[in-house]
Parts: sequence; structure tokens; C-alpha cells
Amino acid sequence: MPAILRSLRSPRVLIALGMILGIACCAVFASSLAPHDPGDQNLLSILTPPAWADGGDPNYPLGTDSLGRCVLSRLIYGARTAMLVALFASLGAMIVGSILAHVSGYFGGAVDWIIGRMVDVWMSFPPVILSLILMVGLGVGLDKVILAIVLVDWTRFCRVLRSEVLIVTRHDYVAAARLLGFTHWQTIVREVLPATLPLLITLISLEMAIAVVVEAILSFVGLGVGADQPAWGQMIADARQYVYQSPWNLLLPILAIFLTVTAFNLLGDGLRRTLDVRLAETGR
Amino acid sequence: MIATVVKLIVRRLLAAIPILLIVSALLFCVLRLLPVDPAAMSLPPTATIEEVEAKRREMGLDKPLPQQYLIWLSDALHGDFGRSIALRREAGSLVAATLPATIELALCAMVIAAMLGLGGGLLLFHLRGSVFEPVADLVSVLLLSIPEFLWGLILLFVFGVALQLMPFTGEVSPGLPIPHITGFLLLDSLLIGRFDVFLSACQHLILPAVALGLAFSPTIMRVLRSSLFDVYHEDYIEQARLRGLSEGHILLGHALKNAALPTLTLAGVQFGILFSGTLLVELIYSYPGMGNLMVDAVRNADLPLIQAIGLTYCIVVLVINTVVDSLYVVLNPKLRVR
Repeated sequence: MPAILRSLRSPRVLIALGMILGIACCAVFASSLAPHDPGDQNLLSILTPPAWADGGDPNYPLGTDSLGRCVLSRLIYGARTAMLVALFASLGAMIVGSILAHVSGYFGGAVDWIIGRMVDVWMSFPPVILSLILMVGLGVGLDKVILAIVLVDWTRFCRVLRSEVLIVTRHDYVAAARLLGFTHWQTIVREVLPATLPLLITLISLEMAIAVVVEAILSFVGLGVGADQPAWGQMIADARQYVYQSPWNLLLPILAIFLTVTAFNLLGDGLRRTLDVRLAETGR
Repeated sequence: MIATVVKLIVRRLLAAIPILLIVSALLFCVLRLLPVDPAAMSLPPTATIEEVEAKRREMGLDKPLPQQYLIWLSDALHGDFGRSIALRREAGSLVAATLPATIELALCAMVIAAMLGLGGGLLLFHLRGSVFEPVADLVSVLLLSIPEFLWGLILLFVFGVALQLMPFTGEVSPGLPIPHITGFLLLDSLLIGRFDVFLSACQHLILPAVALGLAFSPTIMRVLRSSLFDVYHEDYIEQARLRGLSEGHILLGHALKNAALPTLTLAGVQFGILFSGTLLVELIYSYPGMGNLMVDAVRNADLPLIQAIGLTYCIVVLVINTVVDSLYVVLNPKLRVR
């Protein structure tokens, strides 16, 4: 895929990939990077500031939270939660959305109409509201968060990809493939999919940013991953209550989310430019 | 003119009813499929199985799902959205009590988003071709990537905690009275002539509204810029230049008017999204609007309340989109049907 390789020369893509690689390393090697177990409570030293501040404890480089848990360790393990959600939720939404988009755009007619109306109805629910309602039913947990994001966000892929598939399907080489005796399935996979792939990849990276935020929101509300699993949103909710005692505890997870979201969006923007993908400005 | 606008809006709203019915049915089904029993929840934990069964019959939960939906729908059409299980009040009146605060927040945020979008868009356009363009472009991409949830937290941290310039909890300072006349706090505080309450309400509104506005301004900014680019390819810009008009006059007097239309449509669509975004900033700033009510309802698995609020959000967003669509047709002479 020369276009993908070409995009590696873009500074935006490179910087973004570097940042994502760093966060991914935290996620993968969390158990060896973190100085403490993220769940270990030390009630004798709660809300200590970072090590460099007055009253800081070198044992806890970034201080402790309201239960005396190591903030650095929780940040590192929180990266694991965020990256898992980003990866699997965006892949899931991509699979569901792009299959429906390809079926819809390729076959057209009644199938297209039904899928189109489904997307309309789905999108008339504000995403935040829909994901909250889904979490009531699904209950907390990492897999539930991922499922909720997939169920809410498949429409983003479906809507944008469908119009691309529609354009690609009209090309002569697709008709030629059909004339050569390709089955519908073969035509979609071998002729249509390669043409929509750049858009798909760009959308995935943007969706990853959205997934990270949604996970943080759900954890902030207390409907995200379980209480035993560290998540940035939880850390923010906890720090929000003790904001005057330890502002650092609020700032650090906000920074973590900010950097992750920026990295994925920068990647998406870089890919969009280098792969020359048409994306609507409203594609939040 | 006004009559045609109203007729258009009414016609479009009527066309939106089927969607609303499907949405409400879906909402109903999703919430009924949950492993939560509203009957058991509305009784004390000591209730016997017979009592729960009797309550289930009373609430109509033993009937088939479509029938339950029809009962709920006819009640809802009569303004009865059921009772909140946790708060033991009418769900409809709870929504009515919190909706004005949310609308107030959304309107302020929209004004801020529009102002920032207009200023930023003009600035981005002004910087075209200059050395600052790539920088401005990168900044706008970065800004675009920050959602309202993060803006809310960042502003809370910077202005509330670090600089301690702004209050960041609730809608007025503790101790001040909260008047209830129309439900819109800014208006009510002026109606009772309490400027201290008005001022305090404004202070409490600024951070959430700016957070929400910041999240939505970059989109407006970028669309304004690109429509200005489109407009500058038109002949009348060149003509204006030949007539000796200054660049500033051309931009503000001629180009902006024509570029405003696509931007306005987008701003309208954004307003729908922005309205649901209020939930998150309300949550962060403990602002007593519909969003916080929703989150509480969700935490308590309070089905009637979730249903009522969920539907209200959908209705408001649908109405906003419909009205914006109609306004677009009215404003754009090319789309006007004779």
C-alpha cells in the first residue's frame, strides 16, 4: 500500500504515531512500568502532592489520591483501559458500520433504504444520551463500554462510507469485475474495499479519539469500567471532589486524555491529508 | 413571509412525527428489555412476591410489550410521563423544572460558539497565504479535536482551581435565593429585581457556556473559512475590487454575507449536537439542568425518568434541526419554492 507508506513521511502522522506508540507502551508494559499496584491503598498518606512539591513523597512520584493510591500507577494502568477501549471499540464500530455501508452502497434499492432509515433513527438519539441509556442496560465493565461504543458509533462509519461506496461502485472497473464473473462478495472485497480503505483507516483513527473520550465520560459518571479497574475518567471524578487539596490529581488525568485524543486526531488529520480523503467538516 | 415560514416549519415538524414515534418505541423497548424491574424498585425491599406481582399488574407490566407501549404513548400524549421511582415525583414536572436551565446554557453556549466561530473564521481567512497559515491551521485542528468534556475540565482547572477567578459549582452562589417564575434563572432574577442573583448566575454560567462554545466554534470557524474561499472565486468579488472598494469592505460587506448561509446551516446543525453536549458540562459543573437529572436517573436505573428525559432530548434536537432546515430554505432564495 504505497499511499499508506507515503503518509509516513508526513510530520503530523509521524508525531502522532510517536505519541500513540508511547501511550501504547504504557498500556502494554503497565505492570512493569508502574511503581505500585494501582489498587493498593495507603490510608496513611492520602492526597500527597507530587514528589517535587512540598510534602511530596519520593515513593509516590505523582502523589496519591483520596484513598492513598499511587497516581502515577493509576495513570499508567488507565492508559491500558483507554487503549483497549480505543482499539476494540473502533474496530467493532468499523466492522459493523463498514459491512452495512458496503452492503447498502453496493446493492442499493430496498436494502439501501432500510439501512439508511436505520441510520437516521439511530442518529436522532444524541450519542451521549444513547450511550448512557445503553450502559444502564449493559451494566459496568470494560467489555460493556466497548459494546456500548460500537452500538452507538457504527453509524459514523456507515454514513460516511456509504456515499464513498456509492461513488466507487459506479466505476467501470467494478462493472468489469462483475462481467468477468466475480461474485458480489468477491467484487466488494477485491474491487470496492481497496478503494474505500483510505477513508476507513482515517475514520478509525478519528473514532479512536472519540472512544477514548466516551470511555472517560462513562467512567466519570461511574458507568464505565468497574471500580476495580483504573480509568482516567474515574480519577477525574475522584479528584473533582478534592480539587483544592490536590489540584495535581485533577490536572494529570485531564492531560493524559488530552494528549491521547490529540494524538489520534492528529493522526486522523495527517492521514486525511496524505491519503486525500474527502471528509465533511462536520465529521466530529 | 412569516406565515410561509410558520407553515413550512409546521409541515416539517409534522413530517418528523413518524421518526419521533419510532424513536420513542425504540427507547421504550430498550428500557423494557433491561434486567431491571420497575415494580420491585418502587416497593420497599421487604415487599412480598405477591405485593410485587400486584404492583406489576397495577403498572401494566404484565401486558405484552406493544400494548405497554401504546398505554405509555397515550399517557405521554396526555402529558403524563409516569412517576420517577427514585424521586417519587412526576417525571414530566421534573423535566419541566430542569429544562429551562439547560436551554439557557445551550443558548449562551451557542452565542459564544457563533462569536468565536465568526471571529476565528475571519482570522483564519485573513491569514491565508501568510506564514502563519500552517500554524493557524494546526491550531484549529487541535482545537477541533478537544470535545466539550475536556474543555469543561480544562476551564474548570484553569479558571476555577488554579486562578480561582470563577465559581464552578451550581448555578448561583450558596445563600442566594433561586427565584422560580419562568424557570429561566437569568430572566427570573431580573424579574424580581435581584441584580446580585443575576450577576452570580452569570458568573456561574460563564465557564460551562464557554466550554461548550469552545467545543463547537472550530467547526463553524472552518466552514466559514472554506465558504469564504468559495465566495472569493465569484466574479462579483473581482468586480467590487475593480470598483475600488477596500479589501475590508469587500470581505465584510460582500463576501461575508454570501458565506454566512452555509455557515448558518452548519451552526444550526451544530446547535442540535450542542444541546446534547450540555449534559456533560452540566455534570462537570454540577449545573442543575436536565443533564444532571438524567445522570442521576441513569445511576438509579429510574426507568420512567430516563424515558422522559431521553425523549425530551430527542424531541428538542429534532425540533432544532427541523427549524434550522426550514430557516435555511427561507434564507436561501435558490431553494425557495413558489
